Amino acid sequence: MVILRGRKIKKVFGKKTNTQEVLKDIDLEVREGEFVGIMGPSGSGKTTLLNVLASIDKVTSGTIEINNFNLQKMKEQRLSQFRREQLGFIFQDYNLLDTLTVKENIYLPLSVGKTPKTVSEKKIKEITDLLGINDILNKYPNEISGGQKQRTSAARALVGSPSIVFADEPTGALDSKSATALLSNLEKINKEKKVTIMMVTHDSVAASFCSRVLFLKDGQIYSELYKGEKDRKQFYHEIMNTQSVLSGDGYDA
Amino acid sequence: MAMTLNQLVLRSMRKNIKNYYLYVFALVFSVTLYYSFVTLQYNPAIVKEIGSGMSSAALKAGSYLLLFIVIFFVLYANKLFMNRRSKEIGLYQLVGMSKGLVTRLIAIENIILWLGSIILGVLMGFVTSRVFAMILLKILEKDAFVELTFSLEALLMTVIVFLLLLIVVILQTAIRIRRVSLLTLITTTGVADEKVKKFNAFHMFLGFIGLAFIGYGYYLSTSLLDLSNPDLTPNMLLFKMVSILILTVGGTYFVFRFSVAFILNLVRKSKKGLMSVQDVLSLSTIMHRMKSSAMSLTTITILSATTLGILTLSYISYYSVDTVAEEAIPYDYVMYEDTGFDLIEEFDKEEIQYTRDDIDLLAVEADVRSLLVKDAALNNDISTRLTIQVVSQKDIQSKLPNLQLKEGQGYIVGYDSLRAENIRIEAQKPIQFITSTGTEEVFITEVSEEYMVPNYHSYGFFTVVLEDSYFQKLLNDPLNENQMVVGMELQEVSQLKKAEKIFEANKVSVEIPYPSGIATKTVSVESQESYRLDLLNELGLTIFITGFLGLAFLITTGSILYFKQMSEADEEKATYTILRKIGFTTNEIMKGIHRKQLFNFGFPLAIGLAHSYFAVKSGWVFFGTELVAPLLITMGVYIILYSIFAILSAGYYRKVVEDAL
Ligand SMILES: Nc1ncnc2c1ncn2[C@@H]1O[C@H](COP(=O)(O)OP(=O)(O)OP(=O)(O)O)[C@@H](O)[C@H]1O
Ligand SMILES: [Mg+2]
Repeated sequence: MVILRGRKIKKVFGKKTNTQEVLKDIDLEVREGEFVGIMGPSGSGKTTLLNVLASIDKVTSGTIEINNFNLQKMKEQRLSQFRREQLGFIFQDYNLLDTLTVKENIYLPLSVGKTPKTVSEKKIKEITDLLGINDILNKYPNEISGGQKQRTSAARALVGSPSIVFADEPTGALDSKSATALLSNLEKINKEKKVTIMMVTHDSVAASFCSRVLFLKDGQIYSELYKGEKDRKQFYHEIMNTQSVLSGDGYDA
Repeated sequence: MAMTLNQLVLRSMRKNIKNYYLYVFALVFSVTLYYSFVTLQYNPAIVKEIGSGMSSAALKAGSYLLLFIVIFFVLYANKLFMNRRSKEIGLYQLVGMSKGLVTRLIAIENIILWLGSIILGVLMGFVTSRVFAMILLKILEKDAFVELTFSLEALLMTVIVFLLLLIVVILQTAIRIRRVSLLTLITTTGVADEKVKKFNAFHMFLGFIGLAFIGYGYYLSTSLLDLSNPDLTPNMLLFKMVSILILTVGGTYFVFRFSVAFILNLVRKSKKGLMSVQDVLSLSTIMHRMKSSAMSLTTITILSATTLGILTLSYISYYSVDTVAEEAIPYDYVMYEDTGFDLIEEFDKEEIQYTRDDIDLLAVEADVRSLLVKDAALNNDISTRLTIQVVSQKDIQSKLPNLQLKEGQGYIVGYDSLRAENIRIEAQKPIQFITSTGTEEVFITEVSEEYMVPNYHSYGFFTVVLEDSYFQKLLNDPLNENQMVVGMELQEVSQLKKAEKIFEANKVSVEIPYPSGIATKTVSVESQESYRLDLLNELGLTIFITGFLGLAFLITTGSILYFKQMSEADEEKATYTILRKIGFTTNEIMKGIHRKQLFNFGFPLAIGLAHSYFAVKSGWVFFGTELVAPLLITMGVYIILYSIFAILSAGYYRKVVEDAL
């Protein structure tokens, strides 16, 4: 089943005289349960694409449907509610609230809905167990490591059982060990809970956890790779090759 | 270099327009207020009406107080302005500008801003000064025409004051830039607040102490003027007043610094990590900011309380002018013996309608010991033999139509409990009159503090109203001295103006000997209305000045709170971005912010109101005769004006939240 469908997505920044077309008529479809990676050189429009797909930013033209809801037709109020109920976000810079403890941060998405407190507690316990952060629940963000912050951010994204999770370079600030741990977790959640994940990354290792990788260049989808039956190592090499073709002279800086 | 420096200044000014407009508002407001107030002293209409001397001295004193407010406001605004720009200043240094150069940059910028503000402020002050002059004359009930006045003296004063302030500000900035290291400059706007985590018992104790201090201070204030306390010496009074001040001010700080965070922490703990967005935006942000904002919230609370207290007291005196005049002169016109018969003739000739009471005022020797309240009666050092003024019930029938006195009964009016000091009396006790046939007792049924009899013999104590036959007996007693007094009430209020004119033209006064025969007293026909106007003249200026300063304080504290909330909103923008991304709507976020605003504005206001209430309550009797109405009106107006700032800041928050995504 197609969960996300984008048609002729165009995004232009700037005013009349000084415009920049960042996304150029992108078409894309994501099926339920997919783990999609988005790669591409810096400035190619990855974050922009993720933002418009996630309804955080508006497209200049084109349509985006998630779960058959047309984002362009929804009012701000509905859109917010939709985001809260259907989508989850993991940001590169964590986006945790400094004044809240880990647990309070994770609870946020549940706080408005009618989720009973006991159910909330259970959900928080489940997701923090899975991500291995249940021993730091009462700490503040400035007292935990970058990897723990990223896992907190992931827990907050996942706790509301969203149908799609958007992640923008979730491993960007992590060492390779923590990065691998987080990615394995995401992979596990993707497999076990059938949560659809879209993840922007610069890192080919991270991308090799995905089931499909899109390559963006100058606001267009330049190419795409499916993992299929390949193992991670093979897929990794394939990604590396595509990337060097993409940037012309090897790996992009 | 100079060229590029200028360009840089202009460019950075354009970029920071939002920060500037606050600062410029504070400057223009201060200049306007100061210039227009100083101009008042030189306004010909004012000078003509209130004269020089005392009155202009009062205006001058007011201008010094205003100067204090202005300095406070401008320096605070500058501090806030610099805080908001610390990143920018850090950046200049980061790209290699020397500290000297940055200082010069800021100095040039300040000079431009200040000169512009002074010009604008003076122009506005030129106009507003006329409005203030009209208000002042309105309070004094004088209808003179006020022209726009330009005063060179006021301009010079204003320019000198603000140029001096500008130098102070530039020096302050220079010192700040010199002292502060790059790193701290860049990070000031970051989260500098401590994380309230574990509350130790000591903080808890201090939080409790804060509440206890305020409570005890209030308790002391209610008994401040307890006249039944024989130990109440002036020194004791001063000591008590200082204690109350320390207790309430200190208590307020403790409440803000410890109690609030402590209570909020308990509430938060009780949520066990499951806080709603509303809680997140109110509870946790307030808690985390308490350390840094305790001082300014305390200042604002105390300033509000002081302002409110002073405003209420002066309004009480203004409000009470009518009653005070009525007490001093219980009839529209009062004349003694044969002083005012020309006036009555004139009134008749001009067809002024009036009713007339002819009253015999009798001075009788009496002993009031048996009337004294219990513990005072035991004190044998008090001399209780006094000359008491006595009237007959029938003479003041018009004032006390329902009074029924039996034989041997009396009714006391015009008792001033405040001035009675240790001769405090109560009803349902006898008084002893000393007559030529011996001592006679009259039973006092009631003691009223209302004045309704002209005060001739009573020297501020009280007058005894007696049943007619006994009064006749005292009247015939050669020991007692009688004075005829005529009280006249106008029947038509519309004739007051005309009557006053006649009164002014027929003022006569005569010397009358005191009952003792040793000294003489000058009495004249008295008019309640001219007495009232004299009072207004005396008090009006004070009321105007306090009102003006109160308003200045209100706007200053309100603006400061508003500025603070603006920077807070800007600092929390990232939080709103996150919440909006996660899927909270602007309205949901605003709900939490409203709660926070309710705290930030409401809490200082509530405590300020409570403080001023207790302060006013403890001493209002010295200022007038009516407490409730002036108190409620002043507080109501204050709350409304104050709320404007809360609404403005909520509007700003909404804009920030909307722009956050
Ligand atoms: N709010 C904005 N206003 C104007 N231009 C923008 C805005 N956001 C992004 N851009 C421009 O759009 C282009 C794509 O930006 P985007 O953030 O999507 O890149 P990216 O692929 O995520 O890069 P990176 O890998 O560095 O994160 C960039 O050239 C950027 O300058
Ligand atoms: Mg990006």
